[in-house]
Amino acid sequence: MKSWRALDLSYGAIFICLMAIGANITFWFPFLAIPIGGVSVPLSLQTFFSILAGMFLGKRLAAFSLLGYLFVGIIGVPVFAQMQSGVFVLFNYTGGFLLSFVLVGYVTGLLSEKINQKNMISTSSIAFIGVFVNYIIGVSYMYLAMNTWLGLTIAYQAAWIGMVPFLIKDLVLAGIAAVVLLKMIDRMPSTAYH
Amino acid sequence: MASSLIIGQYVPSQSMIHRLDPRTKMIIIFLFVVFVFFANNFMSYGWLTLFAAFTALSTKIRLRYIAKGLTPVWFLIVFTFFLHLFVTHEGDILFRIIGFPIYSGAIAQGIQISIRFFLLILFTSMLTLTTTPIEITDAIETLLNPLKRFRFPVHELALMMSISLRFIPTLMQEAEKISKAQASRGVDFKTGPIKDRIQAVVPLLVPLFVSAFKRAEELAMAMEARGYQGGEGRTKLRALAIERIDWYAFIIFTFVLTGLFILRQ
Repeated sequence: MKSWRALDLSYGAIFICLMAIGANITFWFPFLAIPIGGVSVPLSLQTFFSILAGMFLGKRLAAFSLLGYLFVGIIGVPVFAQMQSGVFVLFNYTGGFLLSFVLVGYVTGLLSEKINQKNMISTSSIAFIGVFVNYIIGVSYMYLAMNTWLGLTIAYQAAWIGMVPFLIKDLVLAGIAAVVLLKMIDRMPSTAYH
Repeated sequence: MASSLIIGQYVPSQSMIHRLDPRTKMIIIFLFVVFVFFANNFMSYGWLTLFAAFTALSTKIRLRYIAKGLTPVWFLIVFTFFLHLFVTHEGDILFRIIGFPIYSGAIAQGIQISIRFFLLILFTSMLTLTTTPIEITDAIETLLNPLKRFRFPVHELALMMSISLRFIPTLMQEAEKISKAQASRGVDFKTGPIKDRIQAVVPLLVPLFVSAFKRAEELAMAMEARGYQGGEGRTKLRALAIERIDWYAFIIFTFVLTGLFILRQ
Protein backbone atom coordinates (compact mmCIF):
# COMPACT_ATOMS: atom_id res chain seq x y z
CA MET A 1 0.00 0.00 0.00
CA LYS A 2 1.31 3.41 -1.00
CA SER A 3 1.93 5.69 1.95
CA TRP A 4 0.56 9.22 2.09
CA ARG A 5 2.67 12.15 1.03
CA ALA A 6 2.54 15.53 2.75
CA LEU A 7 0.59 16.87 -0.22
CA ASP A 8 -2.07 14.16 0.07
CA LEU A 9 -2.51 14.87 3.77
CA SER A 10 -2.80 18.61 3.30
CA TYR A 11 -5.40 18.15 0.56
CA GLY A 12 -7.29 15.70 2.75
CA ALA A 13 -7.22 18.23 5.59
CA ILE A 14 -8.45 21.00 3.31
CA PHE A 15 -11.45 18.90 2.36
CA ILE A 16 -12.24 18.34 6.03
CA CYS A 17 -12.35 22.14 6.36
CA LEU A 18 -14.53 22.48 3.27
CA MET A 19 -16.94 19.87 4.68
CA ALA A 20 -17.08 21.85 7.92
CA ILE A 21 -17.91 25.03 6.03
CA GLY A 22 -20.37 23.23 3.76
CA ALA A 23 -22.28 21.83 6.72
CA ASN A 24 -23.09 25.34 7.93
CA ILE A 25 -22.85 27.28 4.70
CA THR A 26 -25.86 29.47 5.49
CA PHE A 27 -23.83 30.96 8.31
CA TRP A 28 -21.65 32.74 5.74
CA PHE A 29 -23.98 32.85 2.78
CA PRO A 30 -27.36 33.45 4.45
CA PHE A 31 -29.19 33.71 1.15
CA LEU A 32 -28.83 29.96 0.80
CA ALA A 33 -31.56 29.36 3.36
CA ILE A 34 -34.32 28.20 1.06
CA PRO A 35 -37.89 29.01 2.12
CA ILE A 36 -40.13 25.94 1.91
CA GLY A 37 -43.68 26.64 2.97
CA GLY A 38 -42.86 29.63 5.16
CA VAL A 39 -40.02 27.90 7.03
CA SER A 40 -36.53 28.60 5.77
CA VAL A 41 -34.57 25.39 5.45
CA PRO A 42 -30.82 25.93 5.70
CA LEU A 43 -29.01 24.42 2.78
CA SER A 44 -26.12 22.15 3.61
CA LEU A 45 -23.35 21.42 1.14
CA GLN A 46 -22.00 18.27 2.79
CA THR A 47 -23.13 15.89 0.06
CA PHE A 48 -21.87 18.39 -2.50
CA PHE A 49 -18.40 18.55 -0.97
CA SER A 50 -18.15 14.80 -0.39
CA ILE A 51 -18.89 14.25 -4.08
CA LEU A 52 -16.25 16.81 -5.02
CA ALA A 53 -13.80 15.17 -2.61
CA GLY A 54 -14.24 11.92 -4.52
CA MET A 55 -13.82 13.60 -7.88
CA PHE A 56 -10.80 15.68 -6.92
CA LEU A 57 -8.93 13.38 -4.55
CA GLY A 58 -9.68 9.93 -5.88
CA LYS A 59 -11.28 7.05 -4.00
CA ARG A 60 -8.63 6.32 -1.39
CA LEU A 61 -7.78 9.83 -0.27
CA ALA A 62 -11.42 10.99 -0.43
CA ALA A 63 -12.63 8.18 1.81
CA PHE A 64 -9.72 8.79 4.20
CA SER A 65 -10.36 12.54 4.30
CA LEU A 66 -14.09 12.09 4.94
CA LEU A 67 -13.33 9.59 7.68
CA GLY A 68 -11.14 12.30 9.18
CA TYR A 69 -14.09 14.71 8.96
CA LEU A 70 -16.24 12.31 10.99
CA PHE A 71 -13.49 11.97 13.60
CA VAL A 72 -13.05 15.75 13.87
CA GLY A 73 -16.78 15.99 14.54
CA ILE A 74 -16.75 13.09 17.00
CA ILE A 75 -14.01 14.67 19.10
CA GLY A 76 -16.28 17.67 19.58
CA VAL A 77 -15.35 20.32 17.06
CA PRO A 78 -18.69 21.69 15.81
CA VAL A 79 -18.26 20.71 12.17
CA PHE A 80 -21.56 18.89 11.63
CA ALA A 81 -24.74 20.63 10.48
CA GLN A 82 -26.23 23.15 12.92
CA MET A 83 -22.82 23.39 14.60
CA GLN A 84 -23.34 20.03 16.24
CA SER A 85 -20.59 17.70 17.34
CA GLY A 86 -19.91 14.62 19.39
CA VAL A 87 -20.34 10.91 18.95
CA PHE A 88 -23.99 11.37 19.85
CA VAL A 89 -24.72 12.97 16.46
CA LEU A 90 -23.88 9.69 14.73
CA PHE A 91 -26.46 7.88 16.83
CA ASN A 92 -29.13 10.40 15.99
CA TYR A 93 -31.52 9.55 13.18
CA THR A 94 -29.56 11.60 10.64
CA GLY A 95 -26.28 9.91 11.56
CA GLY A 96 -26.47 7.57 8.58
CA PHE A 97 -26.06 10.47 6.20
CA LEU A 98 -22.82 11.41 7.92
CA LEU A 99 -21.53 7.84 7.90
CA SER A 100 -22.41 7.45 4.24
CA PHE A 101 -20.19 10.38 3.19
CA VAL A 102 -17.15 8.11 3.43
CA LEU A 103 -18.72 5.73 0.94
CA VAL A 104 -19.96 8.61 -1.24
CA GLY A 105 -16.39 9.86 -1.51
CA TYR A 106 -15.15 6.38 -2.30
CA VAL A 107 -17.78 5.62 -4.95
CA THR A 108 -17.54 8.97 -6.74
CA GLY A 109 -13.75 8.72 -6.59
CA LEU A 110 -13.81 5.20 -8.02
CA LEU A 111 -16.13 6.21 -10.85
CA SER A 112 -14.20 9.32 -11.82
CA GLU A 113 -10.99 7.29 -11.84
CA LYS A 114 -12.61 4.77 -14.17
CA ILE A 115 -14.18 7.33 -16.51
CA ASN A 116 -11.46 9.38 -18.10
CA GLN A 117 -13.62 11.59 -20.24
CA LYS A 118 -14.70 14.64 -18.26
CA ASN A 119 -17.76 16.35 -19.63
CA MET A 120 -21.06 17.55 -18.23
CA ILE A 121 -22.82 14.22 -18.77
CA SER A 122 -20.20 11.98 -17.20
CA THR A 123 -19.46 14.20 -14.19
CA SER A 124 -23.10 14.92 -13.41
CA SER A 125 -23.99 11.22 -13.63
CA ILE A 126 -21.21 10.41 -11.18
CA ALA A 127 -22.50 13.15 -8.88
CA PHE A 128 -26.06 11.78 -9.07
CA ILE A 129 -24.84 8.30 -8.17
CA GLY A 130 -23.08 9.87 -5.19
CA VAL A 131 -26.33 11.46 -4.03
CA PHE A 132 -28.19 8.15 -4.30
CA VAL A 133 -25.54 6.32 -2.28
CA ASN A 134 -25.89 9.06 0.33
CA TYR A 135 -29.68 8.79 0.54
CA ILE A 136 -29.99 5.02 0.36
CA ILE A 137 -27.68 4.59 3.33
CA GLY A 138 -28.92 7.70 5.12
CA VAL A 139 -32.62 6.89 4.94
CA SER A 140 -32.15 3.20 5.75
CA TYR A 141 -30.10 4.15 8.79
CA MET A 142 -32.79 6.64 9.81
CA TYR A 143 -35.43 3.91 9.60
CA LEU A 144 -33.23 1.55 11.60
CA ALA A 145 -32.39 4.17 14.23
CA MET A 146 -35.96 5.26 14.75
CA ASN A 147 -37.32 1.73 15.04
CA THR A 148 -34.62 0.45 17.35
CA TRP A 149 -32.74 2.71 19.74
CA LEU A 150 -34.87 5.83 19.38
CA GLY A 151 -37.98 3.79 20.05
CA LEU A 152 -40.24 5.41 17.43
CA THR A 153 -42.11 3.30 14.92
CA ILE A 154 -42.28 4.63 11.40
CA ALA A 155 -42.69 2.94 8.05
CA TYR A 156 -39.81 2.72 5.61
CA GLN A 157 -41.83 4.57 2.95
CA ALA A 158 -42.64 7.36 5.39
CA ALA A 159 -38.95 7.89 6.05
CA TRP A 160 -38.36 8.26 2.30
CA ILE A 161 -41.29 10.62 1.76
CA GLY A 162 -40.00 12.92 4.47
CA MET A 163 -36.63 13.15 2.77
CA VAL A 164 -37.85 13.89 -0.77
CA PRO A 165 -37.43 17.70 -0.59
CA PHE A 166 -33.86 17.25 0.60
CA LEU A 167 -33.17 14.69 -2.11
CA ILE A 168 -34.30 17.16 -4.78
CA LYS A 169 -32.09 19.84 -3.28
CA ASP A 170 -29.08 17.54 -3.27
CA LEU A 171 -29.69 16.40 -6.84
CA VAL A 172 -29.68 20.04 -7.96
CA LEU A 173 -26.48 20.61 -6.00
CA ALA A 174 -24.94 17.53 -7.59
CA GLY A 175 -25.44 19.23 -10.94
CA ILE A 176 -23.67 22.31 -9.55
CA ALA A 177 -20.85 20.07 -8.31
CA ALA A 178 -20.36 18.86 -11.87
CA VAL A 179 -20.17 22.48 -13.07
CA VAL A 180 -17.66 23.43 -10.37
CA LEU A 181 -15.52 20.40 -11.17
CA LEU A 182 -15.42 21.24 -14.85
CA LYS A 183 -14.52 24.86 -14.06
CA MET A 184 -11.79 23.82 -11.66
CA ILE A 185 -10.32 20.90 -13.56
CA ASP A 186 -7.64 22.94 -15.33
CA ARG A 187 -6.63 24.66 -12.13
CA MET A 188 -6.20 21.39 -10.25
CA PRO A 189 -2.60 20.43 -9.72
CA SER A 190 -1.92 17.15 -11.47
CA THR A 191 -0.38 15.76 -8.30
CA ALA A 192 -3.63 15.54 -6.38
CA TYR A 193 -5.61 14.10 -9.24
CA HIS A 194 -4.75 10.44 -9.35
CA MET B 1 -16.97 35.53 14.97
CA ALA B 2 -16.28 32.41 12.99
CA SER B 3 -13.18 31.46 14.94
CA SER B 4 -14.88 31.93 18.29
CA LEU B 5 -17.33 29.20 17.34
CA ILE B 6 -14.54 26.68 17.10
CA ILE B 7 -12.54 27.71 20.12
CA GLY B 8 -15.68 28.50 22.10
CA GLN B 9 -15.93 24.93 23.31
CA TYR B 10 -12.85 24.42 25.46
CA VAL B 11 -12.72 26.11 28.86
CA PRO B 12 -9.26 26.19 30.42
CA SER B 13 -9.11 25.34 34.11
CA GLN B 14 -7.08 23.28 36.59
CA SER B 15 -9.91 21.01 37.72
CA MET B 16 -9.51 17.27 38.29
CA ILE B 17 -11.37 16.48 35.11
CA HIS B 18 -9.10 18.77 33.11
CA ARG B 19 -6.03 17.04 34.54
CA LEU B 20 -7.16 13.57 33.52
CA ASP B 21 -5.40 12.02 30.57
CA PRO B 22 -7.51 12.58 27.44
CA ARG B 23 -7.44 8.82 26.79
CA THR B 24 -9.00 8.15 30.19
CA LYS B 25 -11.76 10.62 29.44
CA MET B 26 -12.43 9.14 26.03
CA ILE B 27 -12.60 5.55 27.29
CA ILE B 28 -14.90 6.47 30.16
CA ILE B 29 -17.17 8.54 27.92
CA PHE B 30 -17.31 5.77 25.34
CA LEU B 31 -18.31 3.22 28.01
CA PHE B 32 -20.83 5.65 29.50
CA VAL B 33 -22.51 6.10 26.11
CA VAL B 34 -22.85 2.32 25.82
CA PHE B 35 -24.04 1.69 29.39
CA VAL B 36 -26.61 4.50 29.43
CA PHE B 37 -28.76 2.14 27.38
CA PHE B 38 -28.72 -0.42 30.21
CA ALA B 39 -30.59 1.92 32.57
CA ASN B 40 -34.25 0.89 32.63
CA ASN B 41 -35.93 2.34 35.70
CA PHE B 42 -35.99 5.60 37.60
CA MET B 43 -33.44 4.41 40.16
CA SER B 44 -30.80 3.56 37.56
CA TYR B 45 -31.43 6.75 35.58
CA GLY B 46 -31.22 8.75 38.79
CA TRP B 47 -27.93 7.08 39.67
CA LEU B 48 -26.40 7.95 36.28
CA THR B 49 -27.76 11.50 36.44
CA LEU B 50 -26.15 11.87 39.85
CA PHE B 51 -22.82 10.72 38.43
CA ALA B 52 -23.08 13.04 35.39
CA ALA B 53 -23.99 15.99 37.63
CA PHE B 54 -21.08 15.20 39.93
CA THR B 55 -18.73 15.13 36.92
CA ALA B 56 -20.13 18.38 35.53
CA LEU B 57 -19.70 20.09 38.90
CA SER B 58 -16.14 18.89 39.33
CA THR B 59 -15.07 20.43 35.99
CA LYS B 60 -15.44 23.82 37.77
CA ILE B 61 -16.97 25.22 34.60
CA ARG B 62 -19.87 27.53 35.27
CA LEU B 63 -23.13 25.63 34.85
CA ARG B 64 -24.59 28.44 32.80
CA TYR B 65 -21.84 27.92 30.22
CA ILE B 66 -22.51 24.19 30.05
CA ALA B 67 -26.23 24.82 29.69
CA LYS B 68 -25.56 27.30 26.90
CA GLY B 69 -23.71 24.59 24.99
CA LEU B 70 -26.77 22.38 25.31
CA THR B 71 -29.25 24.91 23.88
CA PRO B 72 -29.40 23.42 20.37
CA VAL B 73 -30.49 20.08 21.79
CA TRP B 74 -33.12 21.23 24.28
CA PHE B 75 -35.62 21.24 21.46
CA LEU B 76 -34.76 17.65 20.60
CA ILE B 77 -35.15 16.55 24.22
CA VAL B 78 -38.53 18.23 24.61
CA PHE B 79 -39.67 16.99 21.20
CA THR B 80 -38.77 13.39 22.10
CA PHE B 81 -40.73 13.68 25.33
CA PHE B 82 -43.89 14.89 23.59
CA LEU B 83 -43.58 12.36 20.81
CA HIS B 84 -43.54 9.54 23.34
CA LEU B 85 -46.41 11.16 25.19
CA PHE B 86 -48.69 10.77 22.19
CA VAL B 87 -47.33 7.59 20.62
CA THR B 88 -46.95 5.22 23.57
CA HIS B 89 -50.10 3.43 24.74
CA GLU B 90 -49.19 1.65 27.96
CA GLY B 91 -50.62 1.80 31.48
CA ASP B 92 -53.79 3.65 32.45
CA ILE B 93 -55.29 6.68 30.81
CA LEU B 94 -54.49 9.59 33.10
CA PHE B 95 -56.13 12.50 31.28
CA ARG B 96 -56.86 13.79 27.82
CA ILE B 97 -55.35 16.72 25.93
CA ILE B 98 -57.76 17.93 23.22
CA GLY B 99 -59.16 14.46 22.90
CA PHE B 100 -55.82 12.62 22.90
CA PRO B 101 -55.55 10.08 25.70
CA ILE B 102 -52.35 10.36 27.75
CA TYR B 103 -51.23 7.09 29.33
CA SER B 104 -49.21 6.77 32.51
CA GLY B 105 -46.73 4.51 30.72
CA ALA B 106 -46.21 7.20 28.10
CA ILE B 107 -45.20 9.79 30.66
CA ALA B 108 -42.78 7.39 32.31
CA GLN B 109 -41.23 6.34 29.02
CA GLY B 110 -41.09 9.91 27.72
CA ILE B 111 -39.24 11.08 30.80
CA GLN B 112 -36.81 8.16 30.69
CA ILE B 113 -35.91 8.57 27.02
CA SER B 114 -35.52 12.33 27.47
CA ILE B 115 -33.18 11.76 30.41
CA ARG B 116 -31.20 9.32 28.28
CA PHE B 117 -30.80 11.97 25.57
CA PHE B 118 -29.85 14.58 28.11
CA LEU B 119 -27.25 12.34 29.77
CA LEU B 120 -25.68 11.37 26.45
CA ILE B 121 -25.28 14.96 25.36
CA LEU B 122 -24.19 16.32 28.72
CA PHE B 123 -21.59 13.63 29.26
CA THR B 124 -20.10 13.66 25.77
CA SER B 125 -19.82 17.46 25.90
CA MET B 126 -17.62 17.05 29.00
CA LEU B 127 -14.78 15.82 26.79
CA THR B 128 -14.56 18.89 24.61
CA LEU B 129 -15.23 21.30 27.45
CA THR B 130 -12.22 20.04 29.36
CA THR B 131 -9.80 18.88 26.64
CA THR B 132 -8.07 20.82 23.87
CA PRO B 133 -8.56 19.50 20.32
CA ILE B 134 -4.83 18.81 20.04
CA GLU B 135 -4.89 16.65 23.16
CA ILE B 136 -7.84 14.77 21.72
CA THR B 137 -6.12 14.08 18.39
CA ASP B 138 -3.06 12.85 20.29
CA ALA B 139 -5.29 10.57 22.31
CA ILE B 140 -6.99 9.26 19.18
CA GLU B 141 -3.61 8.51 17.69
CA THR B 142 -2.54 6.41 20.65
CA LEU B 143 -5.91 4.74 21.15
CA LEU B 144 -6.12 3.70 17.50
CA ASN B 145 -2.53 2.49 17.50
CA PRO B 146 -3.51 -1.21 17.48
CA LEU B 147 -5.08 -0.60 14.06
CA LYS B 148 -1.59 -0.02 12.68
CA ARG B 149 -1.26 -3.78 12.62
CA PHE B 150 -3.95 -3.82 9.91
CA ARG B 151 -1.98 -1.14 8.07
CA PHE B 152 -4.50 1.55 8.91
CA PRO B 153 -2.68 4.92 8.70
CA VAL B 154 -3.33 6.07 12.27
CA HIS B 155 -0.61 8.69 12.43
CA GLU B 156 -1.67 10.17 9.11
CA LEU B 157 -5.30 10.37 10.25
CA ALA B 158 -4.31 12.22 13.42
CA LEU B 159 -2.02 14.57 11.51
CA MET B 160 -4.69 15.30 8.93
CA MET B 161 -7.13 16.10 11.73
CA SER B 162 -4.66 18.45 13.41
CA ILE B 163 -4.02 20.27 10.12
CA SER B 164 -7.73 20.68 9.51
CA LEU B 165 -8.24 22.02 13.04
CA ARG B 166 -5.64 24.65 12.26
CA PHE B 167 -7.24 25.57 8.94
CA ILE B 168 -10.97 25.48 9.72
CA PRO B 169 -10.98 29.02 11.21
CA THR B 170 -8.81 30.31 8.35
CA LEU B 171 -11.05 28.94 5.65
CA MET B 172 -14.12 30.17 7.51
CA GLN B 173 -12.71 33.69 7.43
CA GLU B 174 -11.97 33.19 3.76
CA ALA B 175 -15.61 32.26 3.12
CA GLU B 176 -16.72 35.39 4.95
CA LYS B 177 -14.35 37.53 2.89
CA ILE B 178 -15.59 36.08 -0.39
CA SER B 179 -19.21 36.66 0.53
CA LYS B 180 -18.40 40.30 1.40
CA ALA B 181 -16.36 40.73 -1.77
CA GLN B 182 -19.26 39.54 -3.88
CA ALA B 183 -21.68 41.78 -1.99
CA SER B 184 -19.42 44.81 -2.57
CA ARG B 185 -19.63 44.12 -6.28
CA GLY B 186 -23.33 44.72 -5.95
CA VAL B 187 -24.41 41.12 -6.35
CA ASP B 188 -27.81 40.69 -4.77
CA PHE B 189 -28.55 37.09 -3.92
CA LYS B 190 -31.27 37.82 -1.41
CA THR B 191 -34.10 38.02 -3.87
CA GLY B 192 -34.97 36.17 -6.99
CA PRO B 193 -36.05 32.61 -7.68
CA ILE B 194 -34.47 29.66 -5.89
CA LYS B 195 -32.84 28.50 -9.10
CA ASP B 196 -30.84 31.73 -9.38
CA ARG B 197 -29.84 31.59 -5.76
CA ILE B 198 -28.52 28.05 -6.05
CA GLN B 199 -26.64 28.95 -9.21
CA ALA B 200 -25.06 31.85 -7.33
CA VAL B 201 -23.13 29.23 -5.36
CA VAL B 202 -20.71 28.72 -8.24
CA PRO B 203 -19.03 32.19 -8.20
CA LEU B 204 -18.73 31.88 -4.43
CA LEU B 205 -17.30 28.38 -4.30
CA VAL B 206 -14.79 28.55 -7.12
CA PRO B 207 -12.67 31.25 -5.35
CA LEU B 208 -13.01 29.31 -2.11
CA PHE B 209 -11.66 26.20 -3.81
CA VAL B 210 -8.82 28.08 -5.48
CA SER B 211 -7.60 29.62 -2.23
CA ALA B 212 -8.05 26.36 -0.30
CA PHE B 213 -6.01 24.40 -2.82
CA LYS B 214 -3.31 27.04 -2.80
CA ARG B 215 -3.06 26.77 0.97
CA ALA B 216 -2.83 23.00 0.78
CA GLU B 217 0.05 23.18 -1.66
CA GLU B 218 1.92 25.78 0.36
CA LEU B 219 1.52 23.71 3.50
CA ALA B 220 2.73 20.54 1.80
CA MET B 221 5.77 22.38 0.50
CA ALA B 222 6.51 23.76 3.96
CA MET B 223 6.20 20.27 5.47
CA GLU B 224 8.55 18.77 2.93
CA ALA B 225 11.03 21.61 3.35
CA ARG B 226 11.12 20.80 7.08
CA GLY B 227 11.76 17.16 6.36
CA TYR B 228 8.40 15.58 7.14
CA GLN B 229 8.73 11.86 6.46
CA GLY B 230 5.71 10.31 8.07
CA GLY B 231 5.11 9.11 11.59
CA GLU B 232 8.08 6.76 12.10
CA GLY B 233 10.37 8.01 14.85
CA ARG B 234 8.52 11.28 15.31
CA THR B 235 8.66 12.72 18.84
CA LYS B 236 6.07 14.75 20.72
CA LEU B 237 6.27 18.04 22.56
CA ARG B 238 3.76 16.86 25.14
CA ALA B 239 3.71 13.14 25.79
CA LEU B 240 0.56 11.63 27.27
CA ALA B 241 0.92 9.76 30.55
CA ILE B 242 -1.54 7.75 32.65
CA GLU B 243 -1.12 8.82 36.27
CA ARG B 244 -2.59 8.02 39.64
CA ILE B 245 -5.56 10.36 39.11
CA ASP B 246 -6.53 8.36 36.01
CA TRP B 247 -6.64 5.11 37.99
CA TYR B 248 -8.89 6.83 40.57
CA ALA B 249 -11.18 7.87 37.74
CA PHE B 250 -11.40 4.30 36.47
CA ILE B 251 -12.11 2.99 39.99
CA ILE B 252 -14.90 5.54 40.49
CA PHE B 253 -16.37 4.66 37.13
CA THR B 254 -16.30 0.92 37.88
CA PHE B 255 -18.15 1.70 41.10
CA VAL B 256 -20.76 3.68 39.12
CA LEU B 257 -21.26 0.80 36.68
CA THR B 258 -21.60 -1.71 39.51
CA GLY B 259 -24.22 0.54 41.07
CA LEU B 260 -26.04 0.73 37.75
CA PHE B 261 -26.32 -3.05 37.47
CA ILE B 262 -27.51 -3.38 41.06
CA LEU B 263 -30.21 -0.71 40.60
CA ARG B 264 -31.54 -1.80 37.21
CA GLN B 265 -34.32 -4.36 37.03
